[in-house]
Amino acid sequence: MYAKEMVKQSLPLIIFCGLGAIVAGSTLSLMTDLFYEIPGLIVVIPAIIAMRGNISTALGSRLGSAYHLGVIDSENLWSDDLKQNILGSLVLSFSVSVIIGILAYITSLFLGVSPDPAQLILIVVVAGIISGLILTLLTIGIIFLVFKRGYDPDNITGPALATFGDMITMACIFGSAILMEVLL
Amino acid sequence: MIYNWKTIVKHGLPLLLVAVVIEIFAGQILQGKQELLVAIPIFLISIPVVNSVAGNIGSVLGARLASGLHVGYVTSNLGDKEMHKNLVVSLLIGFFTYFILAIVIYLVALFGKITEDLALLEFVGIIIITGFLLICVVAVISVLTAFISFRRGLDPDDMVSPVVTTVGDVMGIVFLFIVLGMFGVGI
Repeated sequence: MYAKEMVKQSLPLIIFCGLGAIVAGSTLSLMTDLFYEIPGLIVVIPAIIAMRGNISTALGSRLGSAYHLGVIDSENLWSDDLKQNILGSLVLSFSVSVIIGILAYITSLFLGVSPDPAQLILIVVVAGIISGLILTLLTIGIIFLVFKRGYDPDNITGPALATFGDMITMACIFGSAILMEVLL
Repeated sequence: MIYNWKTIVKHGLPLLLVAVVIEIFAGQILQGKQELLVAIPIFLISIPVVNSVAGNIGSVLGARLASGLHVGYVTSNLGDKEMHKNLVVSLLIGFFTYFILAIVIYLVALFGKITEDLALLEFVGIIIITGFLLICVVAVISVLTAFISFRRGLDPDDMVSPVVTTVGDVMGIVFLFIVLGMFGVGI
């Protein structure tokens, strides 16, 4: 009985997140030409996706705790606490993006691939910041709706961000890579 | 006001840096195998899926163990029966999920005409074996991370998810290429 409950509650969500990952993976499979044109591009992808997942789920769970602590509510959503949380997430996104670009460039040099450092770092920073902005807005939107309905944000933000996060991040990397390919 | 952006950055940065270094390692494996991935792009679709399922199952398992440890119905002991039950159910959920998603990926690839000469059965076999190996490793890491962090007085809720997803991402890619080698794909 106990195992049945566990399967019933988590299996649909895990399959749903998997379907989201198929959309992200399909985007990846459309980028094959770009991998040849921009050496080092494929190196930064797992890192950007992991960074995005890490920063946005942390933001979601902090806002969930803030709700439980009574610091934010649906009447008073746009508070100083919310602004500090958003700023913290964006500063993290920016600094970690720069580090990802530099690390990918240096490790590639050691392995005999020579990417264009400025292009690679710009691709990561643009993808990191834009996906960060979109996911921050999405998180606030989800939190707002969850408040209105009186649900517990802790149960909703994690899986929702895991599903949409990868899709949005992959789309941003794709867009940013095309943009830098054209500009630089 | 209880939040400050500087504290958020200071607390978040160390764990993120470790994760990013490990993920760059995963990225370099992909770069090394780029020829194969571009030649058979169905595996480019599969990589985020293999990693997402394992990451989610590991995180759910870790969160359940963490709650059990906090409340007291799970003990941080490798012989714990409750932990064994959770572990077995996680493996079953993983096996079933990989089976379903492998078929969906194959259908997507058929639609995009990128199945190359891979048969459905062969592809499903590759994904299930890769996924099963990965879930076994991820589940063990999840249990160990939960138990060790709990014994040291840290909150397993904060530790399990980042550890499991980061290690899972690298291992997922490694296992996929090992299994592809076993099946003689891309050689």
